[in-house]
Amino acid sequence: MPIYEQTYRRHEARGPLRRVRFWPITREALRLILARRWFLALLVAAWLPFVVEVIRIYVVTRFPEANRILPVDGRLFGELLGWQAFFTMFITIFGGAGLVANDLRTGAILVYLSRPLTRRDYVVGKLGVPLLLNLSATLAPGLLLYAVALALAPDLFWKWDLAWIAPAVVVQSLTVSMVMSLVALAVSSLSRSVRVAGLGFFGLLIGLEVARGILYALYRRPETALLSLQADLRSLGVTLFGLADRSVNVPWAYAAAMLAAVSIGCLLVLRSRVRAVEIVQ
Amino acid sequence: MAELGVEEARSLGEMVETPLVEFKDLVVSYGPVQALAGVSGAFLPGPTGLLGPNGAGKTTLLKTLLGFLDPDRGTITAFGRDPAKEPLEVRRRIGYMPEVDCHLPGMTAAAFVAFAGELSGLPRDEAISRAHEVLYYVGLGEARYRTVETYSTGMKQRVKLAQALVHDPDLLLLDEPTNGLDPAGRDEMLALIRDISERRQMSLILCSHLLRDVEQVCENVIVFNQGRVAASGRIADLTGPRRAVYDVRVKGDATAFLTDLKDHGCEWREGEDGYRVSMSDGFGPELIFRTARESGVQVRFLRPGAETLEDVFLRALGHEAER
Repeated sequence: MPIYEQTYRRHEARGPLRRVRFWPITREALRLILARRWFLALLVAAWLPFVVEVIRIYVVTRFPEANRILPVDGRLFGELLGWQAFFTMFITIFGGAGLVANDLRTGAILVYLSRPLTRRDYVVGKLGVPLLLNLSATLAPGLLLYAVALALAPDLFWKWDLAWIAPAVVVQSLTVSMVMSLVALAVSSLSRSVRVAGLGFFGLLIGLEVARGILYALYRRPETALLSLQADLRSLGVTLFGLADRSVNVPWAYAAAMLAAVSIGCLLVLRSRVRAVEIVQ
Repeated sequence: MAELGVEEARSLGEMVETPLVEFKDLVVSYGPVQALAGVSGAFLPGPTGLLGPNGAGKTTLLKTLLGFLDPDRGTITAFGRDPAKEPLEVRRRIGYMPEVDCHLPGMTAAAFVAFAGELSGLPRDEAISRAHEVLYYVGLGEARYRTVETYSTGMKQRVKLAQALVHDPDLLLLDEPTNGLDPAGRDEMLALIRDISERRQMSLILCSHLLRDVEQVCENVIVFNQGRVAASGRIADLTGPRRAVYDVRVKGDATAFLTDLKDHGCEWREGEDGYRVSMSDGFGPELIFRTARESGVQVRFLRPGAETLEDVFLRALGHEAER
């Protein structure tokens, strides 16, 4: 019997267009990424600083004199998120570099854009992937650590004047995750190769950080921090959590403006690159 | 079955004849390059071929129909809607099988087709169920749990067809569906497409540069050439009664011989080894011998052949170029 003798049902029920159309894109990409064991290992490794900080809080509750060597206060959360920002770099490279590049290479972009989806749905769906992964490594441990701190050391943390910690963790986590994800997605859209996109993202972050370090060493000016994405993010952390880092001691508004400009730039890149038709002038 | 009233039957008849896609004076450019230069036409329900050499503007028309490109001038409507203004409403009723390879790395065929269905608006459970059915239908039932990148070219073409079919579209756009297939694979794919059209009653636009593919599946055709519509209508009407054709090889200066043949109403083009001559009505090989004698050349080879669809359309395209 020829294969086309087999049949299928007609699909008669055609409902209205869905309002939330990006979620299947995010879900399927997450499913593919989380199927890799080494990536799961990376996500687990990203929780090591959380474990270390929990131990630190526990030690201070058992031995209060340790608080003099390892002070446990609001700055602890800033330090944790500083570590987590380091991990988000790797999570973003391995989880986000191929998101658009692969679709451009394999022609899958046409599968998406020939459906009842807008380019915005596509970008939001893809953006959701590194965003959720990064939030799982920043927001989740940050808030969980706050909960653990409240439970283990209520006398240290259950105070009105420390109530800013949770909102600060949310703001810093969202900023770090969103900026990293947008930059990764924009870089990914500029190449058809996952390796090139990953190296491009890594090179961009490290290159700007190295340039900032050289300029700071030469001129000792904190404004050089504006050049580096990580320094801008650290600068926000310094303000939010009261950390001491003279090398990034720039007004938070400048750092925020720079991060906003970078994010807008990334969106413009995505707007020009995410197309079903590539027009070569 | 309830009988249709006169009015219902009339409205049904009108519906059947209403074009699914209409385009009028359509101009689409890629920067300074004009890909469609003021084309007009319509795709009626049923299978229609979109024929033309590479770069003729076929794919551009499909991409404009999907709302990927905005026309510089003119209008295009699909199901009565403007794809540039209501792209989502148009695309949800269309299944598109692109010319280029397309798959998601690491995804099995079953997951890929189900995902495509979900993107088209099917509920997840329904999309999964239909993905399996469609993959069986296109002959990939046994291989549906393999990742698409491990597939052969023929299997990849079938997956592309399955992802275009999964949401049961009203119109199927097939862009070069037999690309890269061996003769057996090509025949199977065309049989599948014919089945979709005849038994499933699904309208489709088959975009191809291969006349044989279009001839096997479609009754109607629109021929594109250099961004213009060179011919359109029923294939049988366009080709008309086919002429007698001869493959001819001559010794000597063929210029005068060929000019004289043209003066007698014959048409010729260079073949693989000699000339392919389409005779004017009522004439046979004796005209070739007589003309050769008068032109002072020797006929060294003469073989009768049937005029193919390719000859007919080359003739049509030639006339278009002359105009």
